[in-house]
Amino acid sequence: MTTDTVPVSGGLPRLLELRADNWPLAIILAVVISIAAIALLPPEISFWVALAACILAAGSAVYNAWGRYKGGLLVAPAIALLFIMNIFPLMWSLGLSFFSYRANRARAPVFVGLDNYADILTDPVVWERLQTTAVLVVLTVTVQMVVGFLLAFLFAKQFPLRRYLLILVLTPMMLSYVAVGAFFRYYYEPTFGLLSQFVRLFTGEPYILLQSTEGAMAGIVFADAWMWSPFVMLLVLAGLVSVPKYLYEAAAIDRASFWRKFTSITFPYIRGLLMLALLFRTIEAFKLFDIVFLLTEGGPGTSTETVSLYLFRQAIQFNKTSDSTTISYILLFTVIVLTNLYLYFVNRRARETQS
Amino acid sequence: MKLRIRLTLMTAGAAVVAGLGGAVPALAEDVTLSMAVPDWPPTRIMKDLFDKNYKAPSGNTVKLDIDFIPWPDYYTRLNTSLTSGENKYTMAVSDSQWLGAFIEAGYYRKINDLIDADPDLKATLADMHPAPLQAYATYPYKSDNYYGFPQMPDIYVNYYRTDVFCNEEEQKNFMAKYNEKLPCSPEEMDAIDWDMYEKFGEFFMRKKGEMLAGKVLDDDFYGIAYQAGKAYDFSTMQINAFIWQYGGNIWDETQAPTGHAEGVVNSPEAVKALEHYLKLTQYMPPVVKTGGMDIFKTDELFREGKVASNIEWIGFAESSINPETSKVADVVAFAQAPGLKVDGEIVRWANIGGQPFVIMTWANDTQIKEAVDFVKWWLSPEVQHQFAAQGGQSAIKSVYEDPKYVTYRPWNRTWAPGLDWQKDTWHIPEFFELLVQGQEQYDLAITGKQDAKTTLDNIAAFQEDLLSEAGHIED
Repeated sequence: MTTDTVPVSGGLPRLLELRADNWPLAIILAVVISIAAIALLPPEISFWVALAACILAAGSAVYNAWGRYKGGLLVAPAIALLFIMNIFPLMWSLGLSFFSYRANRARAPVFVGLDNYADILTDPVVWERLQTTAVLVVLTVTVQMVVGFLLAFLFAKQFPLRRYLLILVLTPMMLSYVAVGAFFRYYYEPTFGLLSQFVRLFTGEPYILLQSTEGAMAGIVFADAWMWSPFVMLLVLAGLVSVPKYLYEAAAIDRASFWRKFTSITFPYIRGLLMLALLFRTIEAFKLFDIVFLLTEGGPGTSTETVSLYLFRQAIQFNKTSDSTTISYILLFTVIVLTNLYLYFVNRRARETQS
Repeated sequence: MKLRIRLTLMTAGAAVVAGLGGAVPALAEDVTLSMAVPDWPPTRIMKDLFDKNYKAPSGNTVKLDIDFIPWPDYYTRLNTSLTSGENKYTMAVSDSQWLGAFIEAGYYRKINDLIDADPDLKATLADMHPAPLQAYATYPYKSDNYYGFPQMPDIYVNYYRTDVFCNEEEQKNFMAKYNEKLPCSPEEMDAIDWDMYEKFGEFFMRKKGEMLAGKVLDDDFYGIAYQAGKAYDFSTMQINAFIWQYGGNIWDETQAPTGHAEGVVNSPEAVKALEHYLKLTQYMPPVVKTGGMDIFKTDELFREGKVASNIEWIGFAESSINPETSKVADVVAFAQAPGLKVDGEIVRWANIGGQPFVIMTWANDTQIKEAVDFVKWWLSPEVQHQFAAQGGQSAIKSVYEDPKYVTYRPWNRTWAPGLDWQKDTWHIPEFFELLVQGQEQYDLAITGKQDAKTTLDNIAAFQEDLLSEAGHIED
């Protein structure tokens, strides 16, 4: 990269030259010094030594780029921040998943290879939680897609107060999970709750929704769908608005039925956005935690405990650090695979329709 | 971690030597004690008393920098802070069950040296009731290793409504139905057992439109309530009481490593105890069937006037006598929590509540000295009386045995007799895993999904496995 500007001097290979702008050497030195410091010095000192080595390497790279790669220098702070805040912790936790370690024990991590993965993948409890999560994902995403779709159709038409109602319908999405959780807790509460009071008008008995597994599931799905259907609506609405009017006018001249108009004009326009909504909501629902935690704590028993809630218990309550990082990576892997599968099918579909 | 402690100690030691060698008189310093505490009246009162009255005997300017954290998040927040290594807090008000987990991790400082070096502190601790002292300070439980000083000791008591219980009509009807007098005065209420409590449940369960104490009810009404929630320890604390009263036991850490969980946790006595606990829930507000009946919900139901009686921690009592927060403020009375009648005597074993102060291992010498002075100030009779006068409790005998003590608050009369019946749950580092699994199983029983025997068998099997793996049970 630097052949044009850095003169080759002497017989030394360029890599070994001691110059301020020799950033590859600086990086190699930083890695060697850091590893040596971590291995030989106590943590309090090695941390600072490694940090100083990293800063030196970074300084060398900046010196080399100064005045020549302005673009690179401008994004460098953002990349550095991303590395420190995201990539490094991510890599660190990936590393931890191959060790046996608990954050609240004064014991060093012990390397165990793939044992954690083997344990987690053969643990029937984890599979049970994954099944619970899958059921909730299918239910909540289906409800959100259907409701969001219908809402979008409603709001695609012009009617009085449409603007204001639209804002009102979008509000749940903007609330915090905690507020929604607390709200629905009261909504379902059998003594004070609106739902119970309403049912009691007809039956005379308080209605205890969260008593059964099915009820608790329904309660969670309803709350989550209430919160996120507007999101689906928003995306579908954007698709609906983008359909050119003349297509409908042409269809009207041809006396096409409503269904025909929908399948031939509307759906092709919104399909992409609908798929995007499905993708976003599936990924989010897979991580469902807040509403479950606030509404049922995973109860009755563990029948609504999602894998995220299970992960929270392992990581934050039990301090099983390496186990929980392992579960996290398995989840991450699952989501990536699902997303890619999904994208693959969508693309194949798109190609088929084009050809 | 250990290394860091050693380094800290070395630095601290060097500082002391340097200080002595230099023989320079100590100058007044600004010292900040940062403390994590649960957000509720006992800690708010403490902060208030501190800000108004505290003067450090050392002459230093001591500032108490308190993080008030809501109860439901408290463990997770404190755990996260401690585990992250940020060393943010010098002290904390810790739940007693957490001792093992945080001591083994190297966060809570052992305080035996501080007690030995300070005759006043030693005398104060000697004057303390052994039940709270053991529960709040010792790890392993009931050993001689001390880690904490009581901040707010707590037990559960029976909150009840005199307008309902003392109503003549209700009295007459109760007598007609059960041929027994409906208790009205706190003394009469002290004498009840769980059978009588069940009768309250059956008798006072009324539908909307029926009469209660001469008034037509505008909503359903229930007789009794106690904690039966899924979160944290919101059923275990009451179930333990039943188990101990029946002569059963939870896994006993003082018997480790030979004491087992299997056969103890699911003994016939424990099964009977859990069946009794579950039987009473049929008379409670319907939220009990959802796993949502935690200590906050029972407190709310009582203050909203939906139940006649509630077994609740004293820590909540202040808000139930305050007309701004309670619809029953002018009619609430307090008695000892019911027990089980065995051979004519009422057995009242209960799970102690309340929290100790702890000092962190990373506190420096000045902070430790100021922390000890602060704790001594807090445990001094004068301040303990002020605390009690504002609704707190004291574990110090000379304070709670003072005739003035019972005059501060209506529930204080239950305090001294209640203390003798307190035991504590596990202090071991694995407590949270035991607790969560127990709560899940109890939740299945409370919501009617499985019977008491299956529940306790499942808990015993889980505990036997986990405790054997952790080395607490050896064959």
